[in-house]
Amino acid sequence: MKVLSLLRKEVLWSRHRVVALLFLLLVLPGCFAFTTVAFETAVPEDAPIAIVPENENVSEDGLAIIEGGAALFSDPKRYEEKSEAMRALRRESVYAVLEVPPGILNENTENATFSLYIDGSVVPFQEPSKAIESIVTLRMNENLPANVSVERQVVGNHSTFSEYLVPVFLMGFVLLFAFTYLPHHLAREADVLERLLVETSMDAVVATKILFMTALMLGPISAFYAVSTYLGYSVTLLTPAVVGIYLLTFVYMAAISTSVMILTDFSRLGRFLNVAIMLTFFTFSSVVHPVGFFSPLRKEIARQLPLHYSMIVARGLSLKELGIGLFADWILGLLGFTLVTLVVLKLSIERYKRTA
Amino acid sequence: MSVLELRDVTKTYGGVTALDSIDLTVEAGTFHCLVGPNGSGKTTLFRTVLGLTRPTSGSVSLPEGRVGCGFQRANVYRELTVGENLSVFGELMGATDDEWRDELVTTLRLDRVMDRTAADLSGGFAKKLDLALALLDKPDVLFLDEPLGDLDDVSKTCLLDFLGEYRDAGNAIVVSTHHLTDFDSLVDHLTVLYDGDIVVDADRQELDFDGHDSLQELYVDRVLSLERADEPEP
Repeated sequence: MKVLSLLRKEVLWSRHRVVALLFLLLVLPGCFAFTTVAFETAVPEDAPIAIVPENENVSEDGLAIIEGGAALFSDPKRYEEKSEAMRALRRESVYAVLEVPPGILNENTENATFSLYIDGSVVPFQEPSKAIESIVTLRMNENLPANVSVERQVVGNHSTFSEYLVPVFLMGFVLLFAFTYLPHHLAREADVLERLLVETSMDAVVATKILFMTALMLGPISAFYAVSTYLGYSVTLLTPAVVGIYLLTFVYMAAISTSVMILTDFSRLGRFLNVAIMLTFFTFSSVVHPVGFFSPLRKEIARQLPLHYSMIVARGLSLKELGIGLFADWILGLLGFTLVTLVVLKLSIERYKRTA
Repeated sequence: MSVLELRDVTKTYGGVTALDSIDLTVEAGTFHCLVGPNGSGKTTLFRTVLGLTRPTSGSVSLPEGRVGCGFQRANVYRELTVGENLSVFGELMGATDDEWRDELVTTLRLDRVMDRTAADLSGGFAKKLDLALALLDKPDVLFLDEPLGDLDDVSKTCLLDFLGEYRDAGNAIVVSTHHLTDFDSLVDHLTVLYDGDIVVDADRQELDFDGHDSLQELYVDRVLSLERADEPEP
């Protein structure tokens, strides 16, 4: 039977692709299954929240009680100054600031008003913050002698969820381009690599490719700008700082994907690996949701990944119109990381030359 | 005058020795044929000379003049047209002689496919484009790996005539091939590789034909006798 013959051909073909198939059918699905451990809850039980005294009259005991209470629904962080806490809020190091009034443990205090500040541009945290407001009000009224109320205040620009998604989707596109289109392009370059290496150097070929592809990124940034302007969104995209952070992100992503392609001799395996890296970056960098939404483990992982910081900086610059100085330390870190990826790329080129 | 020298070149891949202490000299104005059975090390030697493979030990003195190379599998940008490939690589090489480029296009009969993308070319035309790129910068030393593969008989004859003239103009041509017969009339120097070793390396007039009528017969007989010597005794 022809079907049997063709099935036999499929089996023979599979034997020749056994490594790729093992990777695709066992290792990759296994990794996907394994990633589920990082998603433990669907509500923000571990989102970092700043606890800050309203003035110097707030007692240490009072702050400790509030911190303990807040730990039930968040990951509280103590700040001494409100300005520091608000800076952390703008940098998404915390997603809310709970300001504690003085005298909350005093039997004579009749009313105590807490202030809960949230950032208007971190849209996914808007609804959870209302829940936090209710929980704080309920719990504190149960445990404190005073009549407690919570004032929820939204600071900064008020964005819609559509506006919030513009920098997120643009970052997703940068990621997609760096880990799929660029490796595909490099694989095609392999057809002519021998001639290129006789006429020029691998370093020049790779540098030109990354430079050109980075310049191409101005296209999607402009497209996102045009569409968001057409839709009337309040999103800033075409400023040197915003463009710079997206291009910087693309460069380190491109350096990673190119290194993978070179180390795998421009093979299909390299392309699969790049897709896996892309999914890992996107899943674990908390690009869409604030950290702490799903689990403390995922929060810790996100805080280690450069894309997480790229996203916060891009969001801060495009939605909140914050100054680049607020993120100076992170941008320096990202520049350092980019340098490291470029060194790795150079080493992978040297290895390619040595093992050719 | 030698344009290429290899001294004691060894190349190993893991535990496999692809080239074993090779010494080779290529003289200017000669047609140097590098021949050997499959797996004899021709491609490794070719890649080593072009700097695409680093020798494990030994030295390669690359010519100071311009080098051109044609590959067994056409090394061209498949997404670009024939004209664009010539233009891109011409710029990369610094080849600015448009008259020479036009002559190559005519000689290799590429004129009617100039606007076709390389991906749409037949194997023969892709090979011709690869050869045109190899010759684009008027190289002093031309390395060709199986240059006649996929070419029709008319194109083969035209190319062989052209290579003869190119050699006579004082340029060195090194051809790596399995098929010596096609080049018989052109060969000035023959190098036979067998199992990573050079077993014959001589000018045509120095070769001991020993009753053989052609280079092909001489080569085949030599390889077969080596294979018989390698066979384990019963």
